[in-house]
Amino acid sequence: MADPAQPFSLKPYLKKTKIWKSIFRHDFSDTPRTRLLRIFGNVFLHLQPVRVAKDAIRVTYTWGLGGISFFVFLVLCVTGILLMFYYRPASMLAFQDIKDLSFAVTLGPLLRNMHRWAAHLMVVVVIAHMVRVFLTGAYKPPREYNWVIGVILLVMTLFLSYTGYLLPWDQLALWAVTVGAQMAANAPILGNEGPFRLPFITTANDARFSLIGGTVIGDATLIRFYVLHCVAVPFLFCIFLCVHLWRVRKDSFSKQTGEKVDVWPHLVSREFLAALLVLIILFVWSLLMNAPLEAEANLNVTPNPSKAPWYFVGLQELLVYFDPWLAGVVLPTLIVVGLMAIPYVDTNPKGVGYWTKMRRKSFGPFSIWVPQERPFAVSVFMLGTILWFVLIFIGTYCRGPNWEWYWPWEPWSYRRLTKLTLKNIPNLWGGLLVMSYVAMGTPLPAKAKELIAAKAGPKTPGRLFALLHLGLGMMMSVCLFVPLLISKDADYPLRSRYTTLFEALGRSINAPVMSNLYHLFQQAGPAVGSAVVGVMILVVGLILGRIGIAFGKMKNRMFDELGLVKYAIVISLLLMMMGVLGKIMLRLLFGIKYLISLPMFNFNI
Amino acid sequence: MKRLLFVLLTGLLAVLFVITMWRDTAREWTSYQGRFLKTLHTDERRNVSGGIKQIIVKDLNRVDRCTTCHLAIDKPQLALGEEPFTAHPGKFLEWHPVEKFGCTVCHGGQGLATEVKAAHGDVKHWEDPLRRGNVVQASCRQCHGDLKAIEAHVPALIKGREVFLAKGCYGCHTIKDFGQTVSQDLTEIGSKSYQLMEADFEMMSPPHDRIRWLETKLRHPRMLNPGVRPEHLPPGEEEIFPSAMPHFGLNQDDIESVTTYLLSLTASNLPASYVMPAPPEPTVTYASDLEHGTAVFEKYGCAACHGIGGVGGRHNWNGGLGEETPPLLYVKAYYGNHVEELKTLIRSGRQPVPRMNAGRPNPGLYMPAWKDRISEPDLDALVVYLFSLADRLPQPQTPQAATDQAQTSPSQPTAPVDSSPIN
Repeated sequence: MADPAQPFSLKPYLKKTKIWKSIFRHDFSDTPRTRLLRIFGNVFLHLQPVRVAKDAIRVTYTWGLGGISFFVFLVLCVTGILLMFYYRPASMLAFQDIKDLSFAVTLGPLLRNMHRWAAHLMVVVVIAHMVRVFLTGAYKPPREYNWVIGVILLVMTLFLSYTGYLLPWDQLALWAVTVGAQMAANAPILGNEGPFRLPFITTANDARFSLIGGTVIGDATLIRFYVLHCVAVPFLFCIFLCVHLWRVRKDSFSKQTGEKVDVWPHLVSREFLAALLVLIILFVWSLLMNAPLEAEANLNVTPNPSKAPWYFVGLQELLVYFDPWLAGVVLPTLIVVGLMAIPYVDTNPKGVGYWTKMRRKSFGPFSIWVPQERPFAVSVFMLGTILWFVLIFIGTYCRGPNWEWYWPWEPWSYRRLTKLTLKNIPNLWGGLLVMSYVAMGTPLPAKAKELIAAKAGPKTPGRLFALLHLGLGMMMSVCLFVPLLISKDADYPLRSRYTTLFEALGRSINAPVMSNLYHLFQQAGPAVGSAVVGVMILVVGLILGRIGIAFGKMKNRMFDELGLVKYAIVISLLLMMMGVLGKIMLRLLFGIKYLISLPMFNFNI
Repeated sequence: MKRLLFVLLTGLLAVLFVITMWRDTAREWTSYQGRFLKTLHTDERRNVSGGIKQIIVKDLNRVDRCTTCHLAIDKPQLALGEEPFTAHPGKFLEWHPVEKFGCTVCHGGQGLATEVKAAHGDVKHWEDPLRRGNVVQASCRQCHGDLKAIEAHVPALIKGREVFLAKGCYGCHTIKDFGQTVSQDLTEIGSKSYQLMEADFEMMSPPHDRIRWLETKLRHPRMLNPGVRPEHLPPGEEEIFPSAMPHFGLNQDDIESVTTYLLSLTASNLPASYVMPAPPEPTVTYASDLEHGTAVFEKYGCAACHGIGGVGGRHNWNGGLGEETPPLLYVKAYYGNHVEELKTLIRSGRQPVPRMNAGRPNPGLYMPAWKDRISEPDLDALVVYLFSLADRLPQPQTPQAATDQAQTSPSQPTAPVDSSPIN
């Protein structure tokens, strides 16, 4: 019975009703008990632990990147579902529906812009999250498996974004997807244009066909991508996301220092603020910039240049230096597999739960920042990441019509032509070059060292090792310059004037090393020129050998620590990455197209 | 601190949401509708509702939202003096009911758009710009095959076609299955994508649209394709000549008319119920072989390169004969006794034509093969016409005549007189 002296108030009354009590199981006063109950009693908040180490939730430790990517995914789900109300996945209707969204539907432009920009943001944030996890060593035991799930989620994020790219059915969509689908056609064995194609593979049953559901992109592709984008991939994504989040809980946070604090309110409030901030960024972005929409898709009109979605432009840029099967299939596969392998080959227990300190280290006249712990792992990973984004930058901002180089401030011209006559190095020389490069990865195990030292004196193993590297460096240099000077120009065997690759390249290419050497030959005479080339062979060989020796000690230590299998994986991934850089140099400085070329198998490197 | 941040961010988000809602409700067209509704009396307003208006024409696969702003286009009683509230001029809407035709099928532009610039097609990636002024006559030809029947309404279109014929454009360009393939096929030039029509906007000031491009091309044929000089090319690369299209010296009126005609050449695929086919061409009889030959010369566009009346003088980069196309006045002198040789030359053409400088690329203009196009009787008549051109040369002067001429009219030029009936 209520006290008649007290005035009636709604809140206490409501709190006593059965409905209230059945929904809210506890009161909301700020006591330690309710703080726990809030997490226990809520299915969504229950995803998080009740108490967490204070240092683990510092903004400067995680930057909230995992949570933010989850939130952006939620934004994408909401805007995506709303967009689905207005979109019909048929080539006759799709483009018109997008036009309707931008001109007639209430809040249509906002929905579309937000979905588009959130998709871009998600790719960026997911990659940043991965970099953060790597740099703080959060993938190390017992979290190896969750790192692999994370890589799968990254791949799915890219695939979600890629399948969504086609849906507006404009020129941008059609040709970006064409570029991507062409990579499937170049898959080895299963692609119609790839190397070592199986005999029964045609355009009508290869990997590209199964991706786009036909031999050309059309209605079948649109419905396929629509279902993948809206149902199939999100479904799988959610499953992997559940596992990912659950494993974070089970494996605990990577940082465990500092006193324990209650997740409510310390973590929940931060998450809320981060979500607010992201939403504000997305709102402002969507208000200021409209999502692009070009002319309706037309298979007969190929824009020049046609660019892939920005996160694949790095691979497209690699097409300049490699054949499509390498740039579009093998390299991305290796990147993904390599990423997944990281926690299993990295046995270094250090560096978990904190950002590695940097210190200045001088290399001769230069002094650079070097991570104090895990210098090798951090440098290699960051080199790869930066290389990836540099390629994306070049492809997006520095490439114009015919994929010619334009500075970002230069206007494009469809009239501009650059003459580039690229040449192959004969297979024998090129093969030797590649083999010497691969042999650079040879370590000198401690056992072998002892054995040699016991037989031939304590200094011999070191000398032998140095000699091996110098020899390999010299071999690579010779295999590059000698065939240039003596090999016949395979493209014009009958033309007597351009007898060697050197002359052919020097006359017609703007690769700096080749054209300068050629001019030197012309002006100073062959004697001086040959001397210069001889010196160059020597210098380049010595430099390459010196680099090999510099990494020699590290290689030996790595081999002894990792064992043969892990060492082989690490060194081949490393050589592959540096090889990409090397091939880019060969192409830009020397105008060399292939080192090994077997046209009958469609196999060129 | 955290609480303050929370309040601030939430407030900011709320403000952003309000801004978005406001921007969404205050779209461009709402101000036009507001202005229009204000001018109406209460009783007039009863029949006019607000909101986006659209005309859905199923047959033509079009949705036109133009009437969202052009509110009085089919209501002359409500029309105002200023755009966009005027009524449609003439009786065109009576003949072409709006529900059956919509707007953009005739006027071009982007029917789905509800913003002025986008709707008028003055934006990137919309290749069907609004057809302003006389240019709109181009659209009539989509359905009206018989232009004679609507002559009074399409003067620019008819004139454009006449100029196109008179200047000999068919000599290089094809429309459907008639004409030569020396240059671009113009069959769908009014609707082809910019890329396929090789519309290069680099040398042109904006606006960059089809109509402006065609006008510029007709005014200064070489301006849009100035070629690439050897000094701007990497060593060893062949230079590219400017556009081979001759400069026809068209005046503004001609340019607009020809543009109108070219815009009428579209890939439109309208339902049969809309189309009124053209009557069959009447067969022409000629009084003489000479008249027949003149007609052949004009019909196949020989004049584009050889000049009206065969006087030659078109510039042809690196062509023999001083970089000019050959005049036809000397045909009789060369081939008078070798008619069969002349016919063979016309039948199989001359490709490539002789070069002035063997080190430079082939000239852009060349004599195409005519054997599948000009029939044998036509060819015989053409030869008669070509031989007749010799009469236009100044007669070999006797000393007496020369002195007479010098005395009577010293300033009279002796150049051949252009007597083409079309001019």
